[in-house]
Amino acid sequence: MLEKTVSCPNCHEISTFYGEPGEVKKVTCPKCGTLGKVTFARPIPTDGVAIEVSHLKKVYGDLTAVNDISFSIKKGEVFAFLGPNGAGKTTTVEIIESIRTATAGTVKIFDKDISTSFNDVKENIGILPQEFHSFERLTVRETLDYFSKFYKKRADIDEIIKTMDLTSHKDMLYRNLSGGLKQRVGVAMALVNDPEIIFLDEPTTGLDPKARREVWEVIAGLRNKGKTVFLTTHYMEEAEYLADHIAIIYKGKIIAEGSLDELINKYGQGSILHIKNCSTKDALEILRDRGFDVHTEGNGDIAVKIDYKERVLEILSLLRHDCVEYESISIRRSNLEEVFLTLTGAKLGEVEA
Amino acid sequence: MNPKIIAVDFVASLKGWYRSRGILFWSLLFPIMLILIFGAIFSGVGDTKYTLPVQDLDDSTWSHTFVGTLSNISVFNIEKLSVDENVSAYVRDKSLAGALVIPKGFGDTIAESFIDKNVSINVSFYYDPSSNSYSVLQGMISNTLQEYNMRLSGGNHIIGITQESTIGKNFNYIDFFVPGMIGFTLMQTCIYGSIERNTKYRKDGILRKLLTMPITRTEWILAKMLFMLFLSFLSTVAITIVGILVWGMTVNVNLVMIVIIIANSFLFSGIGMIIGRFVKEEETADMAGGAISFPMMFLAGTFFPLEQMPVFLQSFAKILPLYYVNEGLRNAMIYLDFDKAIFNMAIVLVFAIVFFVAGVLLTKWKED
Repeated sequence: MLEKTVSCPNCHEISTFYGEPGEVKKVTCPKCGTLGKVTFARPIPTDGVAIEVSHLKKVYGDLTAVNDISFSIKKGEVFAFLGPNGAGKTTTVEIIESIRTATAGTVKIFDKDISTSFNDVKENIGILPQEFHSFERLTVRETLDYFSKFYKKRADIDEIIKTMDLTSHKDMLYRNLSGGLKQRVGVAMALVNDPEIIFLDEPTTGLDPKARREVWEVIAGLRNKGKTVFLTTHYMEEAEYLADHIAIIYKGKIIAEGSLDELINKYGQGSILHIKNCSTKDALEILRDRGFDVHTEGNGDIAVKIDYKERVLEILSLLRHDCVEYESISIRRSNLEEVFLTLTGAKLGEVEA
Repeated sequence: MNPKIIAVDFVASLKGWYRSRGILFWSLLFPIMLILIFGAIFSGVGDTKYTLPVQDLDDSTWSHTFVGTLSNISVFNIEKLSVDENVSAYVRDKSLAGALVIPKGFGDTIAESFIDKNVSINVSFYYDPSSNSYSVLQGMISNTLQEYNMRLSGGNHIIGITQESTIGKNFNYIDFFVPGMIGFTLMQTCIYGSIERNTKYRKDGILRKLLTMPITRTEWILAKMLFMLFLSFLSTVAITIVGILVWGMTVNVNLVMIVIIIANSFLFSGIGMIIGRFVKEEETADMAGGAISFPMMFLAGTFFPLEQMPVFLQSFAKILPLYYVNEGLRNAMIYLDFDKAIFNMAIVLVFAIVFFVAGVLLTKWKED
């Protein structure tokens, strides 16, 4: 059983709820009755490494597509490999998937070197290749059946169809599906063997915002089921929304790596909590005494720099404890775009590596 | 009108044209190729000559005069056969449309006709019914005889004609055409099926996905070949049934025919794999498939016999695998000439082994 303390977005009442790992619980604010959802994220096991990449290099003639990169991915985490088009993301993931051969370096999946033992890990991985299209004249159900039959270990296809919200489309031909549905089928195909690791190469490229959001929910669901997800993307909001761990690749090299908070705190401007119309003097004193970086913004507003999102609750608790009144709060957070800008001097969406 | 915009668009179109091998092929090379092929095939149409072997068993003044009359007709290229030559075999072996035999007693009968107007004698016309040109030859010989009779007797029927097929049974063009159609259809099915698997599936990421799954390349290829064999036999059965029901063909199903169909599937699937290996774009690969199969269809005796083509094209046809498939199927299914059928089958098997092995070795799923 997990414990989670949250602040009501309406009245800021702080409440504690309990739930099972992976559970998404509907909750009601005990003070104002506002309805909401609390997700009890499955804790990431820290005792196991799913993928370990060491000094990986891929050279095409004069071009070094991947230049001596190393990283490891823990079991059960969503790992986002973020970078602009041409940065080396797909080359890297396809080397890990044994689709391409590395010029140098090693890749281990569950401690097995893929250059010699890839066949041993095939049963435990599922992939969605970049720009994937399945057989046009098979239905969704037939497609999943087809791909599942190659594996010894098979997931329940009906369960996958239900999880992926494909029930109403299961008898449609693949060619007649929308782009978003095709990608959902692609992800579903990667699950037919109930794999431990799922590789998703640019799963939302070319999708409209609604379809993209649908795919995100599917990926978030995988994390809650304890799957390890290797996600390549050039959408920073995708990495922000989904990833436990992010590696930013640029011109074949990993230029930064860490959790979202770590990256923002290290390379971004941090997050600022704006408290509107409060008793400025009292608030400044209380927060500075507790070591917060805080300054006034006029009109009774103050701004507090916060490094971890949990500290918001601490600030609100302090103000409540000392009966400091305020009108509202808002948080402006640095994002990966700022991180990328700091690291490369260019915006992620505007650069071709 | 802004000339600058027109110029920019023109340059962009020009670049798009010469950078696309597919468009380049269809818009330039293909028409040239067709002109060359059809030009070569039909270049002799205006001054066509028909080779007509004549065996003169009478060897008389009258028979010499008759042969002389035939020689004077510009479309005939008369070849004199010795009296001990087997005419049927000669026509078959040389792939000719027909030959004429002047019987013994030919001169005596004509001489007698001046006294007795009721006497008559027949020349024998040996013909290959599968040849498109035998009926033309037959018509011209009949006209010549009619004119000759007119000159001799003012219209009495002194010299007649009997006809005999060189292949024992009265075959017609449909007997020739159906095996060719089977060979051609199987070629198309296998080449394009193989190209799709090796280009579209590569582009769509299916081959990449398969590479990460517990299936080997050998398993995949064998599974697909099994399906191609199924399609091949399905097409063969369908075409044959139409031939039997609609045209009243008599078809013999035998082991040689089955082996040729199996070998044919491997042969052209191998060619498709080789195309798919070197031409990555799906559309361009389809065009490459067309560039190989389309000329082969015309040149390998699919729709009309080789002897209608110039000699150099006939020699060229004999290096094309489809020629041996077509001939093998004809000999096995229709003419029941098993010596020739087995010879053709052996050549198709050699082609099949070479191209399929090359295709498998050259095809790879891994990316560079």
